[in-house]
Amino acid sequence: MTIREIEQQIIEEFLVFDNWMDKYQYIIDLGKSMPVIQESAKTEENLIKGCQSRVWLDCREEDGRLYFSADSDAIITKGIISLLIRVYDGHTPQEIIESEIEFIDTIGLRSNLSPTRANGLVSMLKQIKLYAVAYNEKIEAEKSKEDMEEEKYSIEQVQKNVITALKQVFDPEIPVNVYDLGLIYEVNVQENRNVYIKMTMTSPTCPMAEDVVSDVNNAVSDAPGVKGVQIELTFEPEWDESRMSEEARLELGLM
Amino acid sequence: MLISYTAMSGTSNNIIARTRKMVPALGLTMNGQKLVYLDNAATTQKPKQVLDFIQKALTENNANVHRSMYELSDRATTAYEAARKKVCEFINAPSVENIIFTSGTTASINLVADTFCRSLSFGDEILIEADSHHSNIVPWQLAAQRVGAIVKVIPTDIFCGRGKSGKLVVEALQELLTNKVKILALTHISNITGLHNPVKEIISAAHAKKIPVLVDGAQGIVHSEVDVQAMDCDFYAFSAHKIYGATGVGVLYGKKELLEQLPPYMGGGDMVETVSYEKTTYAPLPLKFEAGTPNFIGAASLTPALEFAEYLSSGSVGEALKAEEQKITQYMLDILLKDNDVELYGTPDAQNMGKSPIFTFNIKGINAGDLAQLLDKMGIAVRSGMMCAEPLLNSFGATSALRASFAPYNTMEEAEYFVSCLNRARKMLV
Repeated sequence: MTIREIEQQIIEEFLVFDNWMDKYQYIIDLGKSMPVIQESAKTEENLIKGCQSRVWLDCREEDGRLYFSADSDAIITKGIISLLIRVYDGHTPQEIIESEIEFIDTIGLRSNLSPTRANGLVSMLKQIKLYAVAYNEKIEAEKSKEDMEEEKYSIEQVQKNVITALKQVFDPEIPVNVYDLGLIYEVNVQENRNVYIKMTMTSPTCPMAEDVVSDVNNAVSDAPGVKGVQIELTFEPEWDESRMSEEARLELGLM
Repeated sequence: MLISYTAMSGTSNNIIARTRKMVPALGLTMNGQKLVYLDNAATTQKPKQVLDFIQKALTENNANVHRSMYELSDRATTAYEAARKKVCEFINAPSVENIIFTSGTTASINLVADTFCRSLSFGDEILIEADSHHSNIVPWQLAAQRVGAIVKVIPTDIFCGRGKSGKLVVEALQELLTNKVKILALTHISNITGLHNPVKEIISAAHAKKIPVLVDGAQGIVHSEVDVQAMDCDFYAFSAHKIYGATGVGVLYGKKELLEQLPPYMGGGDMVETVSYEKTTYAPLPLKFEAGTPNFIGAASLTPALEFAEYLSSGSVGEALKAEEQKITQYMLDILLKDNDVELYGTPDAQNMGKSPIFTFNIKGINAGDLAQLLDKMGIAVRSGMMCAEPLLNSFGATSALRASFAPYNTMEEAEYFVSCLNRARKMLV
């Protein structure tokens, strides 16, 4: 779900309650059921400045997405953070930075908080965005480092690396690698270092086809300079022994 | 301008109801509920007499004071000086010269701390109380820093392991009142514990060693009858807004000989006699300490404000309200003390020990801010946080607390409503 969709869900949940005591009860229950933060995460660094009650907010990144955990000595504050976490958890830093959340005003939360608590809420939102900005910078830095590495190899070099890698993948039935066997019809390294491979199997009914394609994918992905791999399996034209290299034929005693 | 209150008769409930009607804010609704205002230690609600007075003063008597020859300015000056006279009578000061208008308790204390401590030397001591609020701690620290003086603290029982009531340990004075002590800053009634300190006893101990004493009367002016001559304090400080007057106005009472010795605090405006570029002579008391245009409208509102305070404490009204207040205090103490999960800060250790209806406490495992927020939704205004007395609150092992503080216009019914709402909020939060 997008940030906007989760917000909409929360707004609808709050429509059920017609008075603020019930809304508070709901927020309190959210606060009570929130997963407990590890004591080790309750550091001075994670403490949010400007909150009347003490609030700790921790953030970790996994596969380019951010996950938050938090705690507070005030249960209403904790409930409010749990709403914020629900909205932001699992989104990319970019999505979080670009988001402008509305639910706090729509459900009337901001206007129903005391001014000191409303300031605390602003501080929490600010902290979440600060985390997102920090992780965004980190991710960008890693990406540009990768890009630099890729550019170390020319397209021709990557082509060679791919072929070397293909020569490490063996047909499960014939003790010859897929390249010398002539299963690879085309290797095309694109400008962005994505590799397009067109290949076939010795027979359209080959029971190991999936394994072979997967092995090829893994080997090529790991080849230096390769960014992505796209494999097309074809039986047009059909494979025959004439496609084998001389080495392969020698190996199999066909020469 | 004098506002006369007609003597009231009737049942105690009638008296209370009629008194409440005089304070329009008490009829407000908050979050759809009738307002129950229990943050009187922070500020009090204003009677209609004060509101009307301010409106009239701004409409009909507004001109700068002490400056001009025209009728309008005369009216403003007369109202301003009438309020000084009223304050003088209210605290039984010898003369209007002893009454200085400031911007509040904090400003009054800063004035004394700053000017008095200029003559202190390195190593001199300033004695303050552990149960003081920040306004009676920080000005002394600032003044001490400038001259290299030392601030020492009269402890409460908690600080010396003699109990946990929050009561001041007067016995500690024997040791603390050394020759090095140059001034003593007392708190009449603590804004956290509501406990009445034995100021008279402490003052006479200090005077025996020729040490002048300032008394912070921020709460004392509301909850006790102040007679500065009987108390024999050298300075007494309070704010108008805590005793039904306007905000931004305070009073500093000072003994004449001391005020005369002190250098001026701020310069400018009406605090001078003659000014040349080389030398200035200062106006006589009390104007010497009233630099710039004073808050003359706010200060003048002390006349109706103190009249209202007198009305609340005298005659049949006084009796009815006093009885109600005692009922409330007893009820609140019973409820809070019998509850094992409640930690009350400031328990009177004896029946006859003075405690004003200020109740600061925590409920185990519950955040005071959460309670205050839910109580607000039920129409109740109470304070949560540090109450500007962080060191004292910390001594109780608390980082924040809830405070319900009552004024004479609060009722037993409100106390009971507060307790039932507190229980409801507590159930929600546990």
